[in-house]
Amino acid sequence: MKDKHIMIAVDESENAKAALLFVAGFIGGFHGFSATILNVIAVPDRDMFASDDEREKWIEDRRESMSAMLERYRDILIQSGFPKTKVRTELVISDGRPVSSVILEKQKEVCSCALVVGRRGISKSEEFLFGSVSNALVHNASNCSVWVIEPTCGVT
Amino acid sequence: MIKGMGIGDDGQTQQSLRDLASRWLEPFRVPKRFRIITDTSNFIRVDYDDVVILDNRPFLIRHNQKEGRFGLDDEPKFWVKSAIDLCDGSKKIIKLVFHERFQARIGDLLFDCARSPVKEARILNLVREHDHFMHGYSVQDTASNIVRVIDFISGQTMTDYASAEGVQHEEYFTTSFPVILNEYIEAVRAILFLHRHNEIHGDIRRDHLLRDTTAKRLRWIDFDFAHGPNENKFIHDIFGLGNILMYITGGRDITTQVLRDEMPHLRSTITEDDCNIIFRNRVANLGKVFPYIPEALNRIFLHFSRGARVYYDDTEQFLDDLIRAADAVHGA
Repeated sequence: MKDKHIMIAVDESENAKAALLFVAGFIGGFHGFSATILNVIAVPDRDMFASDDEREKWIEDRRESMSAMLERYRDILIQSGFPKTKVRTELVISDGRPVSSVILEKQKEVCSCALVVGRRGISKSEEFLFGSVSNALVHNASNCSVWVIEPTCGVT
Repeated sequence: MIKGMGIGDDGQTQQSLRDLASRWLEPFRVPKRFRIITDTSNFIRVDYDDVVILDNRPFLIRHNQKEGRFGLDDEPKFWVKSAIDLCDGSKKIIKLVFHERFQARIGDLLFDCARSPVKEARILNLVREHDHFMHGYSVQDTASNIVRVIDFISGQTMTDYASAEGVQHEEYFTTSFPVILNEYIEAVRAILFLHRHNEIHGDIRRDHLLRDTTAKRLRWIDFDFAHGPNENKFIHDIFGLGNILMYITGGRDITTQVLRDEMPHLRSTITEDDCNIIFRNRVANLGKVFPYIPEALNRIFLHFSRGARVYYDDTEQFLDDLIRAADAVHGA
């Protein structure tokens, strides 16, 4: 039987880590699941940098720290019982596009049946001015369930 | 001769500059000697009576521009100079390169911002034939700084142009406001033009919208602000458009302090949900304060209130609603 594929979209926040730990605690050790841990590097617009070199350096620094984080998160899933061969990581550069649309693009690409993100718990004014990735995912995802994990949901 | 420029710093050049300057200045204001600057990297050093040479064209520097912001009035912007184009005597604003990256604040919220000469130069090129933006061009100095040469606009900011000070609000609303609203719709259309080209203004507020007294229309200025990543890159602009709309409708910001001082009978009717989603001391639900405001217009304000369930996420929706509201205002 084909594995059920779960995609966990993470950043460096504690809420994202809680989402990963939720998946580890909820599914880790069960057969028939595979996972992709995705990080989208939201690169500020080119206009935010004084030069292309500065921008490249920013991306490289970010790529290095996010790659290390993804490896740590992969280890957590493996320790929870996911087979090594069934956990992959992916790092994508957003390049000006909304993070939610990059996540959904990747979700389609890997055909995951569930998409898991942490809930940031932002205020109404923050949601208005900066947008909410989880809201956008819930509204725009198709052929996929979206799990928005409360950091305090307790399944870790 | 200064390398790469057609103008040298010798006696002959100084005389030529004096001749040019004397065409536009009172004789006693013409300096005996000009300091000639071709590399503007150290913009603090560029001072009154200096001549900045850009693409072989001499600009006589006058004052630093000033801007009121974050509660501070008349903060000098040392990288923005008023100047006279010595070739034709026209007044210009010279914007020198200042790579500033900082956290801006709107209400309680902080976000990453940067000044981008590249962005402003790109937009200047995009809007070179658009009536509702400042006009100008960009040019590189000898150190490859992207300097922007802007045509000076004589006019009022929206703060003054749409002020209801000294008149009853209902009189302002029925006489001045419909005219201002029509002009504002064109200004919003101009921002939609930017957004359709995937550009943002970046710092929409009422002192960045001038009523050009010569052309008799509104024109956006100062679009060098860039923002950090956002799920909707246009939302800051849309929020700015909403705030200006509420200001021009009220003829001023209707704050909770205004209610307390001038309309105490309304104070208990205004709830937290009626206030601006970011600026919590400003009333967004102006229909409660001025009941003759048509509902179609007030509905727009409510999208910027704390009680909002749905927000605008694109400028076209805002413009469509505004056009409908203007019909109601004109029909009222």
